[in-house]
Amino acid sequence: MKVSLFVTCLSEMFYPHVAKDMTEVLERLNCEIEFPAGQICCGQPAFNSGYLQDAKKAAKQMIEAFEAAEYVVTPSGSCAAMFKEYPSMFEETDIIWRKKAEGLANKTYELCQFIVNVLGVEDLGASFPAKATYHTSCHMIRLLGETEAPFKLLSHVKGLELVPLPNNHDCCGFGGTFSVKMAPISEQMVDEKIKHVEETGAHVLIGSDNGCLMNIQGRITRQGKQVKVVHIAEILNHQEEGGILHANENRNGALL
Amino acid sequence: MTRGMIQHREPFLNTIAERLGRDRRQSLHKPSWQYQPQLEVYKGHSQENLLTIFIEACESVHTEVREIVTMDLARRLNETIEDYGGGPIVIGKDQRFVDFKLMETLQAFEVHQWDLQLRQENIEKAAEANIGISFSDISLAESGTTVFLHNKEKARAISLLPRCSIVIIPKSTLVPRITQAVQEIDQRVKAGEEIEAYINMISGPSNSADIEMNLVIGVHGPVKVVYLLVNDR
Amino acid sequence: MPMKIGTEPFFERVDHSLHDDFMRQAMVSAQDSLRNRKLAATTEDESLLDWELWRNAGEEIRRHTLENLDYYLEQLSEHYAARGGHVFFASTAEEANQYIQETIQKKQAKRVVKAKSMVTEEIGLNEALEDIGCHVLESDLAEYILQIDDHDRPSHIVVPSLHKNKEQIRDAFKEKRGYSASEKPEELAAFARKDLREAFLKAEVGITGCNFAVADSGTIALVTNEGNANMVATLPDTLITVMGMERIVPSWEELDVLVTLLCRSAVGQKLTTYVTGLTPDLEADSIDSPKDYHLVIVDGGRSKALGTEFQSVLHCIRCAACVNVCPVYRHIGGQAYGSIYQGPIGAVLSPILGGYEEYGELPYASSLCAACTEACPVKIPLHELLIKHRQRYVAGGGHPKVSEKLSMKAFGMGASSPLLFKMAREVVPTMLAPFTQDDRIEQGPGPMKLWTKIRDFPAPSRTNFRKWFADHTQKMGDDL
Repeated sequence: MKVSLFVTCLSEMFYPHVAKDMTEVLERLNCEIEFPAGQICCGQPAFNSGYLQDAKKAAKQMIEAFEAAEYVVTPSGSCAAMFKEYPSMFEETDIIWRKKAEGLANKTYELCQFIVNVLGVEDLGASFPAKATYHTSCHMIRLLGETEAPFKLLSHVKGLELVPLPNNHDCCGFGGTFSVKMAPISEQMVDEKIKHVEETGAHVLIGSDNGCLMNIQGRITRQGKQVKVVHIAEILNHQEEGGILHANENRNGALL
Repeated sequence: MTRGMIQHREPFLNTIAERLGRDRRQSLHKPSWQYQPQLEVYKGHSQENLLTIFIEACESVHTEVREIVTMDLARRLNETIEDYGGGPIVIGKDQRFVDFKLMETLQAFEVHQWDLQLRQENIEKAAEANIGISFSDISLAESGTTVFLHNKEKARAISLLPRCSIVIIPKSTLVPRITQAVQEIDQRVKAGEEIEAYINMISGPSNSADIEMNLVIGVHGPVKVVYLLVNDR
Repeated sequence: MPMKIGTEPFFERVDHSLHDDFMRQAMVSAQDSLRNRKLAATTEDESLLDWELWRNAGEEIRRHTLENLDYYLEQLSEHYAARGGHVFFASTAEEANQYIQETIQKKQAKRVVKAKSMVTEEIGLNEALEDIGCHVLESDLAEYILQIDDHDRPSHIVVPSLHKNKEQIRDAFKEKRGYSASEKPEELAAFARKDLREAFLKAEVGITGCNFAVADSGTIALVTNEGNANMVATLPDTLITVMGMERIVPSWEELDVLVTLLCRSAVGQKLTTYVTGLTPDLEADSIDSPKDYHLVIVDGGRSKALGTEFQSVLHCIRCAACVNVCPVYRHIGGQAYGSIYQGPIGAVLSPILGGYEEYGELPYASSLCAACTEACPVKIPLHELLIKHRQRYVAGGGHPKVSEKLSMKAFGMGASSPLLFKMAREVVPTMLAPFTQDDRIEQGPGPMKLWTKIRDFPAPSRTNFRKWFADHTQKMGDDL
């Protein structure tokens, strides 16, 4: 199965280890991975702020970059959702771009969604002994409609004690530019999220969207708290010592 | 009936049509709705089942239900009135009080029957009454609701002003939910009938959670409601 | 009081609200309670079979109705008038108020009781009536409380006095109405019952809002719990109903669906205590009913949404389900929105009715989490409409910061040029090196300051993923 990696700009700029973990996980599942060099950014920052024309530039770049792809897989629910928004960004009269956008939207998957629903796999042989809790990213649960896949995958991770996060469906306060434009409100939202994380007694917070994680982790370290914030790809790629492959570059934000 | 006045309609509606990008719609065939989930709720349930559902619903709307055999009604009504503090009582001019042979029982108490000749005095009596007694015209199982099709003699004030409301519910009036009640009304509208000026669907005593989301039972309408569910076949 | 609440600028209002501890606790507790009640009465209620089908039904009905609004309003006015009621179509708040003033003046009436109505707040009806010497008493318990407490403004569509605690209410009652009992809700409510009972019996004019008007029978449907709307619509001789023009259903059949959606979504009840259908009737010898009926249908800017991408905002049935799940509302409360319409629906509707000058920040006060869209019983795509507002705002409807426009332009360029992106990846870590410590940035330069004020920012990575991937793929190839 040919899979084209859509790593996301956040991952390339700040969290390359997430992209590496995703690569290795998919390879282990016998996917033939390729990386379209033309990819940059899905355009969310501009689109969500109302700058449609600027967002369209980003969209066209992505549509062309992934034109030849069969499956486009990304470690971000919001970026996958943004790809699904592309068709509506073009006028109905702009038939060519609309069609191309639809083509891309139809073959795009978030990572967990892809592994569980397309590859049909739930047990990746991963192990990660820790008490953890999981934050459900808004765009993944509501715009992609994917609520189950991450939990299915985490349920097979050896040693992982996953405790439910109270009010897990409540937004963490990132919302892209919202986090700076409406900083006082964003602050309250992330503080409530962290409060709920602490209520669980978990040592690790897992998520599927680097935007959310960047927001929550940034606040946690500022407050000097000890909870580790980890992307689910890192968990899924974590094999026992002496296991097969694992990413050998220094990882930020993970490990025990 | 004197027709009422309509003012400023044309420019108002023309604005709407203009904004919708078309001429004024003069005729319209309402579509058959693709989605009608209300028709499926409690579909095919027996009267027995509906009764069980009704009684459960009454509990959640803070309403006591007493199940009664017709021949016991007068006696049990008497009992209920006593249980809820006795008279004064107010009732509408409703033939069912005669049909169910209740007038004698009622007259043992201080009771006022709505009398159009007495004008405002009726309202004063209702406001002073401890208990208002009425009959349910249609009863909704799902929500523990009694539907009143009021007219000038089966007055609104009776189920509104007194402190307690006793509603006599003939079991034959029981239907699954609001769907069946509105279907009845809708059919009458479509047949060109003039429906009652005041159709009230009441589910238990009045309440409010406006103060710190604390539920308080009994605000402006009756503070207590009790149903006498009567086997009327 | 009109739609606008307060005169402070947005960020001051937000700051003010964030420091109101009682209000914040009340919001969190109320949201959790109302959300759970809604879930129990909707998605978790098996007797409904499939809540999604109900939402589809609601959306279908509202869409059809709004697409044919002129037809249904005409039908409504014909039937209402045929029964002897008077209908006034008011394009603006001023026209509505003037008609109502004239109507009441003709009767030389002074004592007015009102049931809860958002649209009468919106048009500032109470002030207009006080201007002509009327005494207007709010009878809905929450509105009664707000009125007594120096005309405080509502903070929630369904529970307007949510921001007040019982001690504040007791104190207001004591000071203004001679109340002498405790802060227990039952005692406060009992006092209101007695106080208002007098007013109901003596009132000359009753004013109600309208949850849904039924077009083919000329009926006004009211959906309430307290019994006050029934008092208002029964005892005074004159009844005036004010309705937002979009609050209409074709027939009683659709009333069933929408009342079900409303009651379950707003308060988690199968039906509210009183679901009442009022139709004019001039029977002279009826005693406990009005003798004169007036229906005032208000546009007030709603027509601006018709024929635009915002048309679906008029589908709203005012259940506040969106307000109850909004994480922003949760923290800033209702009054911070500066409008009587708060939360997600308020953020979409207020700029349409009142313009971007006054309400331009509201569409931005959202992280676009889409909880509102998910909760809406008639499937209004609220978060999408917020983005549409933002599009209009930056395209000239509002005043976006020049710096923002420029950085978005730069973004557009960068996001469509692999070369520029490559340069950014290589340059940014070096640029930010002076600010980086231990793989994080605690005090960022320029625009980053806003972020790093409360959060650390991750240090840009020096690892080139693309290079890693190329090497990795090569290595895999070599290993084969």
